[in-house]
Amino acid sequence: MWKFLLPFAAFIALVVLFAFGLNPNRDIHALPSPLIGKPAPLFTLTDVVDPTRIVSNAALRGQVYVLNVWGTWCVACRQEHEALLAIAQQRLVPIIGLDYMDERDKAKQWLEQLGNPYMAVAFDTDGRTAIDWGVYGAPETFLVDGQGRVLYKFISPMTPEIWEHEFLPRIAAARRGGA
Amino acid sequence: MNCRRAAAFGLAALLAGALGPGGALLGAQTERVLDAYGQLDDPVLQARFERITLQLRCLVCQNESIADSNVELAADLRRQVREMLIAGKSDDAIFTFMTDRYGEFVRFSPPVEPKTLLIWGAPFIMVLLGGIIIYRVARQRSRLPLDDEAS
Repeated sequence: MWKFLLPFAAFIALVVLFAFGLNPNRDIHALPSPLIGKPAPLFTLTDVVDPTRIVSNAALRGQVYVLNVWGTWCVACRQEHEALLAIAQQRLVPIIGLDYMDERDKAKQWLEQLGNPYMAVAFDTDGRTAIDWGVYGAPETFLVDGQGRVLYKFISPMTPEIWEHEFLPRIAAARRGGA
Repeated sequence: MNCRRAAAFGLAALLAGALGPGGALLGAQTERVLDAYGQLDDPVLQARFERITLQLRCLVCQNESIADSNVELAADLRRQVREMLIAGKSDDAIFTFMTDRYGEFVRFSPPVEPKTLLIWGAPFIMVLLGGIIIYRVARQRSRLPLDDEAS
């Protein structure tokens, strides 16, 4: 009896393990953010284009917004730029940029050449704001609700599909919830 | 059942158990990255700095600690640990700071709690399993006639 049952149980266990582990849609490097449901870390940084201007997310209290972490060194950020421009065109929520591990001149050039989807871009000079947000790569895109809570984090280049399926329903729900 | 193969499997399980988390820690004796800041003046703080940074995972290159990694994020996190140590923060406060931002995954040795029981218990389960298999195989063999032509 055991002779038959034991290998069979092992086989089932392996099937379950592989079904999970070999799923091509699972990004093995993507980690759940412990920030979800928590207050979004506040930052007060200078604007990447105009260093005399202050960009602070405290001022966004009361509205749903998107924070997009990028850098000119980041190839995947260039890849998602088109999608961000299209999202900005919808004028649904403000997109705040967080320029991470970057140089101002390069960032300015990038925005001039590729177009600027951001309401404002905060310049994270020394990576401290990125640490507060648990950023470990770029691009990363956060959704924050009117109470200043992190609703969702997406790691990878933004696409119209992700925007439609992951962000839009959450934005609508946050607004219904009285944000 | 093929006795020799079963015994080999038992031994492998024993080894896997023995080398579990301890083995991973032994393997961590790699070269340390040097920062621009140099060493901390206080040798006690420096020792704590080394121990803590070895136990924090670099999330960009997920099998390296931030002590070993050359990635910019690791350097930023080392700076963070350093500053918190100088500010007199406890080890716990530093680990909490990191897990609040990056999640439990950032720790190479997660605290023992219900959801990590399997990780910490796995070596013991492996040793037990290996022991049981070896015991059964040995007992089975001891019952075989001495001029063993089977297997």
